[in-house]
Amino acid sequence: MEIKVKYRDEIKFLKFDKDRVKVIDILKALKLSPDYAFIVKGDEILREEEIVDEMDDIEVISAISGG
Amino acid sequence: MGFLRKGTKCLICRAQKIDREAILFLPAYRLALCKEHFISWVKKRVYETIKQFSMFSKEDKILTAVSGGKDSLSLWFILNDLGYIADGLYIDLGIDKYSEDSKDLAKNFSERIGRKLYIIEVKNEIGRIPEVSKITNRPICSICGTVKRYLMNKYAKQLGYNIIATGHNLDDEVSFLFNNTLNWDIRYLSRQYPVLTEGKGFVKKVKPLCKITEKESAMFAFFNKIDYIKYECPFSLDSVSIKYKKFFSMLEEEFPSSKIRFYNNFLKNIFEILSKYREEEKLRNCIECGEPSLNEICSFCVLKNKFRKLENELELTKKV
Repeated sequence: MEIKVKYRDEIKFLKFDKDRVKVIDILKALKLSPDYAFIVKGDEILREEEIVDEMDDIEVISAISGG
Repeated sequence: MGFLRKGTKCLICRAQKIDREAILFLPAYRLALCKEHFISWVKKRVYETIKQFSMFSKEDKILTAVSGGKDSLSLWFILNDLGYIADGLYIDLGIDKYSEDSKDLAKNFSERIGRKLYIIEVKNEIGRIPEVSKITNRPICSICGTVKRYLMNKYAKQLGYNIIATGHNLDDEVSFLFNNTLNWDIRYLSRQYPVLTEGKGFVKKVKPLCKITEKESAMFAFFNKIDYIKYECPFSLDSVSIKYKKFFSMLEEEFPSSKIRFYNNFLKNIFEILSKYREEEKLRNCIECGEPSLNEICSFCVLKNKFRKLENELELTKKV
């Protein structure tokens, strides 16, 4: 299964070996922690256990910065 | 680390006997909240921090240091929303696309909230940061910090503001604190406080977001449709502070509330003990610019002189 994500103003395609991909799987695939990253769809923040569909228009937000 | 289960109700709504689903969970406080209550929770927390540390009042003129990032824009939004008089100062560091993009975002946001934004071009003050950094062995982030602190203070005074508010968040403070603890740097530890008092040519500096995490700040920006720069400054991608933040995130995942406990308990139990190590710095006025300095010539002017010298040498080489 391939999921399209917007991350840091770039489009990325992530491949998974399973059919049910959760938000937390996407964060892990990008080596991000739920402590500082989250995924949004439209006006909503998705729960970590939420299943993401191939057709979903999602954006990954990593809050970590150099400071 | 705990996560939000489907169907979990907002804790505040539940207390008010309203049946509304939570949309996020804050593991450090074991708080499940709906969008409205998360937004009000952040604002209340910032307001309480301002009061706890006597940062400023509604009579003060605040200059918010705006970088175009989530923290400074959220801070600017919250200060005005809470009824404070807060304008913005954007320092264009001359870091190509990154500076151009973040400047546009700061300008757009200033128009949105109807507050004044001052823009200072570093190239007119000393030179573009990537070029200035080449004249010294110091890390570029350290040069950038010196330049920003100097210009913020100088322009706050010139423009008539008595408070400088910066968007440093809890993760920033924990990262500084960890670094200072790792080195047992008593001098820095004795000064790590969310307020730096005014005097001797320095404007009072405050960090109202010091108890808000980066994620809370980013979620606040998202819910309030604050458009901020999403990609990192190209020079801070591999910074030590990011590595420390990732390290603390691992700890936080395993032991929620580690960050806020580390910071709060430092302020509560250690900061006062270290007060006897807080030496009065012997400040004087820089003989070149008149700004406060530890030495005869301030660090900004030292950098500027070195850079001008290099520029002149290059100019001469071109002519030959």
